[in-house]
Amino acid sequence: MFTRKQFVSASVGALVAGTLGACSSNGSNDGSAATKASDDSYTLVQSGKILGASDLQYPPLSQMNESTGQPEGFEIDLLAALAEKMGLESGWIDPIKFDAIIPLIQQGGKADVGLSAFTITDERLKQVDFTDSYLDSNQGLVVKKDLTDDAEAYLNQAGRKVAAQSGTTGESWAKENLPNAELVPLDDAIQAMTGVSTGLYDGCIADLPVVSNLTLNSYTDLTVAKQIPTGEQYGIAVSKDNPGLTKALNKALTEIQGDGTLDELKTKWFGSNI
Amino acid sequence: MHDKTKRGRGRLRGLAGALVLALAIALAGAAALPDEAFALTTNKATARPNEDGGDGVIGGIATRLTWEGTVADGEELSSITLTLPDDASFADSTTRVTVLDGLNRINQDSTVSASGNSLTVDFASPIPADSLLRLEVEGMTFPSEGGDYVVSGSYVNDQGTQQLQDSPAISVIANTPLQQAVDWLDGQAWVAAWNANPFLGMFFRPQLLLTSFASLAPGWVLCLVIVLVAYPFAILLGLVAAFMKISRHRLLRAIAIVYINILRGTPLFLQIYIMFFGLPMVGVNINNNVLGVIVMAINSSAYLAEIFRAGIESIPRGQYEAAASLGMNHMQTMVSVILPQTVRRVIPTVTSDFITSYKDTSLLSSVGVMELMMFSKNLTTVTGNITPYMAAAIFYLIVTLPLIKVVGIVEKNLARSERGGGPRPKAQAAGRASEQGGDDEGLEVAGSSHAEASDADELPGALRALVAPFCAHNTFGGMADAE
Repeated sequence: MFTRKQFVSASVGALVAGTLGACSSNGSNDGSAATKASDDSYTLVQSGKILGASDLQYPPLSQMNESTGQPEGFEIDLLAALAEKMGLESGWIDPIKFDAIIPLIQQGGKADVGLSAFTITDERLKQVDFTDSYLDSNQGLVVKKDLTDDAEAYLNQAGRKVAAQSGTTGESWAKENLPNAELVPLDDAIQAMTGVSTGLYDGCIADLPVVSNLTLNSYTDLTVAKQIPTGEQYGIAVSKDNPGLTKALNKALTEIQGDGTLDELKTKWFGSNI
Repeated sequence: MHDKTKRGRGRLRGLAGALVLALAIALAGAAALPDEAFALTTNKATARPNEDGGDGVIGGIATRLTWEGTVADGEELSSITLTLPDDASFADSTTRVTVLDGLNRINQDSTVSASGNSLTVDFASPIPADSLLRLEVEGMTFPSEGGDYVVSGSYVNDQGTQQLQDSPAISVIANTPLQQAVDWLDGQAWVAAWNANPFLGMFFRPQLLLTSFASLAPGWVLCLVIVLVAYPFAILLGLVAAFMKISRHRLLRAIAIVYINILRGTPLFLQIYIMFFGLPMVGVNINNNVLGVIVMAINSSAYLAEIFRAGIESIPRGQYEAAASLGMNHMQTMVSVILPQTVRRVIPTVTSDFITSYKDTSLLSSVGVMELMMFSKNLTTVTGNITPYMAAAIFYLIVTLPLIKVVGIVEKNLARSERGGGPRPKAQAAGRASEQGGDDEGLEVAGSSHAEASDADELPGALRALVAPFCAHNTFGGMADAE
């Protein structure tokens, strides 16, 4: 249904959109710009500009600059680099909640890509397409620095509270591997860290690059007690109705991998290794 | 590394003495393993909970099996087969193969073939020693009768095919009636047609609506409990603050004004954050739900204080003067003349505030109180569908719509009583006598003998005043009949 609606030639698109009514088809047809007429063509919400959606709450991957209020971070630079290769500008919509990004991309019309440390999972692949991976990641289990017990065993007890950002792979790891603890799903990782720091929760779990950064810079009373090797891979979420965009992004991704831009960005935001 | 050796050692305890020795040598990195020893250590096998809104693993419904093992030192692995009991199925599953050296991914080409209850992964090139292998099998199903299941199987290394260590058991529960109802809906043609519409499918997916109602119910109950427990406290606190604000003592007035203005002048959301993150920092650890009740009570009390103050001040001066002329002191005047009238006047506004408070419990979801919004948020995250939010909306409306109706009825009755049709027989006569008099200056002493003929005569004054707006007026005293 979706595939038919949003990504056929203009005439059929208009016809189908007409029959479906206004509920979901806005944006994808109006204001979009088909770049090429071939199979590789894609549509953008704004002509000449690729719009990303993120929660901007995941430093150093994405965050709001404290003084300017502008988005910054690895993923922001990444999208800019990709856009440059594609001959486009890059932009970001206002930050939205992490768990709302995939549905937003799926529905289309607001943003072109979801770029917010999305691990490529089969479950998410049912809803959206992903580009090739741009970063490998693992999970980190965070507790107070003074905890001497084995963090995983300590947390996996009745009455322990483990916070995680809802909808993340960290959350589902905790659900599966810490069945005795009470899982507290929160809106973002910062909240989870604050909660652990204040003693509201006993521990939290989030992506390793992020918790490493946060424990180093902001939450110095916390530590990454356990690195959980999950080997997950981040991908850029693209609507299933826009396969041309996925292809184009993959091509650009290969290019920036080839010319060293991606490694430069990794060094810039994560230091020598992550 | 550390974890791995520890896990390895943990397994050793369960093995026979000879194996212990052999493996210990192997782990120390001394020599290649003898055939019998496990060159591949099973670390764990878990299944993702697939109970909608719950955390059980239900048989007969697709879930994700995660199997993890470590390749021992000096070993290489070229193929692995996972086997489950007969009724389990790997059909239609997709498998994600992850090979890790420490925290770094190793890119490894592999082909996965699944048939029935076994799944085989062949690696294009053998995966190296010391690496961690993870298989995530999405879309597999456990037997529908439930039970404890162990993942067994085999693997191939350079020495040939070896038996795989059994994994810890995975508990699977039998299918639930709710899930069966969902399965039934899945098979209906009209459901498919309904869901094909993007709007209906996204906002009102029948299957999800059903599971949402079931899994949101505990959150709804918690919302109600929080607001119902908080509200009596809020009313008490509000009354105290209201009296302080109209008190003659400057200090009391000042305290009340600061209290009310700060609470009314800041968002509830912020107050929640301050309480939930601030209190633990100073060493005060209160149960989340109790803290939720406290925050809601304190916040509401400020609004209620203003409502009560306005209510008390809206009682005409004449009521005080009339009470004074009967020789009542301030306390008596308040308790038996002013407050009963106030209660009646503020009921609609207080009810509206109650509705607001009830809805505002949703803000508690942001700090991890497992209330309605929290449940629906989680469900929406998992399903990528808005239906759980719609179910939550319905849950809110179940409470708010009747209350809104009540406010409407009360307001109508109040308006009538203000016009002179109220439950104040004698006073009403006086009001009629002055015809256009508007403000009714007759003294109302609640619980006095005005309504001797009425059944409601038995009720104490305050209670009578409280129920008055809900009653048709002619049940209160006979005078209304005279109209």
